Amino acid sequence: MKNLGSKLVLIITGIFIFFPLYAATEFSMRNGAEHTHGLTAYRWIFEQSGFFENLAITARITVLAVILNLLIMVPTVTWLHLSGQRYKRLVEILTILPLIIPVVALATGAQLALPSILQNTVYELSFMYVVVAMPYTYRALDIGLSGHPLATLTNAARNLGASWVRVLTNVIVPTIRPSILAALFLMVALSLGEFTLAQLLHWSTFPVWVTNTSQQNIIGATALAVGSLFFAWILLFGFTFFGGKKSNTVQEEA
Amino acid sequence: MKQATNPNVDMKGALSKGGAFHGFMSKFPLPLVPLFLFLLIFFMWPIGALTGNAFKSNEGALTLSNISLLFQDPYRLAFKNSITLGFISALVGAIPGLVIAMAIEKQGSQTLKKFVASISGVLANTGGVPLAFMFLAAFGPAGLVISALKSVGLDLYGLGFTLFSFTGLVIVYAYFQIPIMVIVVTPALSALRTEWKDSAANLGASKIQYWVRVGIPILLPSFIACFLLLFASAFSAFATARALTVGNIALVPLQIGSLVDGNVTVNQANLGYALAFGMIIISLLAMIPYIWIQSRTSKWQR
Repeated sequence: MKNLGSKLVLIITGIFIFFPLYAATEFSMRNGAEHTHGLTAYRWIFEQSGFFENLAITARITVLAVILNLLIMVPTVTWLHLSGQRYKRLVEILTILPLIIPVVALATGAQLALPSILQNTVYELSFMYVVVAMPYTYRALDIGLSGHPLATLTNAARNLGASWVRVLTNVIVPTIRPSILAALFLMVALSLGEFTLAQLLHWSTFPVWVTNTSQQNIIGATALAVGSLFFAWILLFGFTFFGGKKSNTVQEEA
Repeated sequence: MKQATNPNVDMKGALSKGGAFHGFMSKFPLPLVPLFLFLLIFFMWPIGALTGNAFKSNEGALTLSNISLLFQDPYRLAFKNSITLGFISALVGAIPGLVIAMAIEKQGSQTLKKFVASISGVLANTGGVPLAFMFLAAFGPAGLVISALKSVGLDLYGLGFTLFSFTGLVIVYAYFQIPIMVIVVTPALSALRTEWKDSAANLGASKIQYWVRVGIPILLPSFIACFLLLFASAFSAFATARALTVGNIALVPLQIGSLVDGNVTVNQANLGYALAFGMIIISLLAMIPYIWIQSRTSKWQR
């Protein structure tokens, strides 16, 4: 009796989540002439110019964003946990600020004030994505690090004669790998689907290309929507469900 | 930042604490320089610039004329619409999200929890044209739901329903709002210990008394915080609104978008920055209480 209500809620939720997806998949497989189904619309996607180019651009932006994010966040958060506890509150506040500013507003500012060398390259997006993802990536790393006796491990390594670089690469990074993966996942999720900054800063990325191409053919556009959703979902779901296993245990330890 | 650069104060702090690691980094938090610089260049500076421009006339003189335009139509209407959309969408996301999170908590299976966490993370990141087309296939004029209802004699579009409307936006936004709610409210629900329920029951409290006296007072601050986050998320959503509406609903993010794209020309060159500044102010009003409540409640939730 007790669980009946909650089961019902979960079933309704499942319908709400999967029905639009089912409807879109069905629609995308229509062959113009109503009653037959096929993959015509999916073939149409690959025939559109710019598919591979834009996918490649988004992939490169994502890789740079991931690298920048890890280079800046991992050493900073590690230091905060080891010896910068006094600055933790300050950094917590600083890193949550991007959540306060709507991305649309940030885009108008970026268009105005980014260094001019960056304004001329699509990779300015990587830098902005690192900022937009920071509230999430900082927290993912912070939670992950809280579960480990990092100071003890570091002291031990230092006493055995390891350099600081070696401590970072051989002690800290392997210990906190699950939270690094979590931060990486969040960064990838954001970069793959981000539309607002790319559109307002006038760059062509995969999401922008999807939007523009969608205007030509409604069935093709639905196929494109289903395709890009499934692509992102499989990638992200794989990341969280399998990569998340370890980071969950870290959180429980904390 | 100022504090950090004052060596005297920091030395004292380090000495009094006397920790093993305080010695070598106490003069200046050198390790924080990359993060500070990054945020300065890619966050503070752009926001400072747009704020400055919001108060500049075409000739560069200080003026309030851009800001005063925000209180006139069509911009006043856009702010009204965006705020209303934020509120309704937050309600439509927060209540089912809370119910779903409670149902998951009740089921208590670890696999289910992990599955839901993964799928919520993915859904919360869904938006823009793909999301819009997915709903078009279900609720569009030729969509599956709409044609099914038509075949049993209920013509929703004939009755005035359309996905390209305010109601349509609320329905579509629910697809990412509800998962966001599930993600942010779950920690608060997990913090409701079963021991409290048991001890309330042992002391003779009824289920209703438990919720009125214990459950709701504990959950309320978190619920309000989550509601504010959802408000901000719907208030500033751009990609999905742009994909779904065809200029028939005035919304602030869309107005900024068309000003930036140069689709619309106005006398005031800096109007777009004033709109962005207005958005930041409203977003601040929602997010500062959110951050404050979250930081207060997260202390005992761990």
